[in-house]
Amino acid sequence: MNFNNEAMIKKDRLRFTKNKLSANLTLLAILLNALYFVSIYKSDVGSYYYNFLIGISVIYNLLFMLVAFLSSEGVKTYKVGYSFTLIGIGVGQIIRIFIIPMNANSTTLSLGGEETTVMESGQFIYVCVCLVASAALCIIAGIINLFKARALAEHQAELDKKAKGS
Amino acid sequence: MSDLKLQHLDKIYDNKVQAVFDFNLDVKNGELIVLVGPSGCGKSTTLRMVAGLEDISAGNLIIDGKDVTKMAPKDRDIAMVFQNYALYGHMTIYENMAFSLMLRKENKNEIHQKVLSAAEILGLTDQLNKKPNQLSGGQRQRVAMGRAIVRTPKVFLFDEPLSNLDAKLRGATRREILLLHKRLRATMLYVTHDQTEALTLADRIVCMSMGHVQQIGTPLELYDTPANLFVAGFIGLPPMNFFDVEVKNGELICESFKVALTPEEKGSLERYEGATITLGVRPEDISEGGDISVNVFSNENLGQTTLVNGVVGKHRITCKFREWCTYKAGDTVNVSFKKKHFFDKKTTDAISLR
Repeated sequence: MNFNNEAMIKKDRLRFTKNKLSANLTLLAILLNALYFVSIYKSDVGSYYYNFLIGISVIYNLLFMLVAFLSSEGVKTYKVGYSFTLIGIGVGQIIRIFIIPMNANSTTLSLGGEETTVMESGQFIYVCVCLVASAALCIIAGIINLFKARALAEHQAELDKKAKGS
Repeated sequence: MSDLKLQHLDKIYDNKVQAVFDFNLDVKNGELIVLVGPSGCGKSTTLRMVAGLEDISAGNLIIDGKDVTKMAPKDRDIAMVFQNYALYGHMTIYENMAFSLMLRKENKNEIHQKVLSAAEILGLTDQLNKKPNQLSGGQRQRVAMGRAIVRTPKVFLFDEPLSNLDAKLRGATRREILLLHKRLRATMLYVTHDQTEALTLADRIVCMSMGHVQQIGTPLELYDTPANLFVAGFIGLPPMNFFDVEVKNGELICESFKVALTPEEKGSLERYEGATITLGVRPEDISEGGDISVNVFSNENLGQTTLVNGVVGKHRITCKFREWCTYKAGDTVNVSFKKKHFFDKKTTDAISLR
């Protein structure tokens, strides 16, 4: 099949190439999430983090990584559903800023007779950057996949129509 | 596409073993040359020298007027198709075909066009999203060819590409290669040990033995006028029958039969009067009826033809008859020779008829 215009060729390429861009952005989001939780879990601030919430945080991290990885595989083959999953978990990453980091940043503890902020502003900025970047990557990956998947579906429909016509 | 010149090529390995001796060949633009010979005759080594996978010990290799003897394989603009396909198992067919162009960082849209067009030629359009392990052997070999086609190289090299396929698929893929050659008009060098492939595909055949070129010619030339005993025995299936005969008074005398010579043959064999020469007769040039008695020991019916194997004196003989025969072991059949080939006993060269 020959296509004369560049835009059509670009669309037609989608039939045979994987959406590596979205998949790789998602994997990068997983890496940034790992940097976030490593920073939290290595904090040495007495028993502040030893509570129910941190347990949920651990489970959520595992779930996030699993879902993000599955989504990265899904978007490779232009599955539209995974775009919404990625956008969803991206929004979840933003919400997470307001749970553990915000609370830890605004809490002070007395450790060895000295008043200490649980999460210093340096660490706070670092974890926020990790979560925001992770969120942004998930959302961008989802949107890119959404556009590409729609373009591919339209192109395929057009080809099917032509095939039926001939 | 381009012409190719192999001038006095030698291949000597580090252990001093010489695999190719003074190989000379001039391949014209768009020609399909088949290198044929038994295992170890140096045909694959020659092909690998052209590809740049083996160093050339002596001689020159010229592609399109340019000496590429010392040039790296990647700069020679040659594509090679291997016996074992050499496809990347983790890539789709599309990716396999596009891979070499991706490495060259060609425009992605152009790559796409080239891959689609090659896939269409080879009938692979519906297979582009599959992985190699989902395809049959013949389809995989077509992918390997597609990978060569997309590069539009100056010369295509095929190293026994059909050897891994079963007989039926081999026939079909052979026809596809022939059609491909007609369509692309590409310069192709094809190595095989299968003479059927050589005879059906080649514009010209190079028959090799022990590193030496025995004969270069069209399939008909090699079949009809073999240059020596080796070519005569190698080309043709079943192989040619050979008899040691004495030339005497216009006759060929064997211990168990006599054959009268035609005036033309008599003239050509004048200088061999009283000497022993080798008489060659193709199985298909033997017909029933005559004064040579064959003691049959097996009868193989092949449908349209029958192969009758037997003995004439101390010589084994195979006859190919164009009908369904029912000879049994121990039967005697009288035959005659239609076309004869003569070879010098000492030099093994063919004795040409005047």
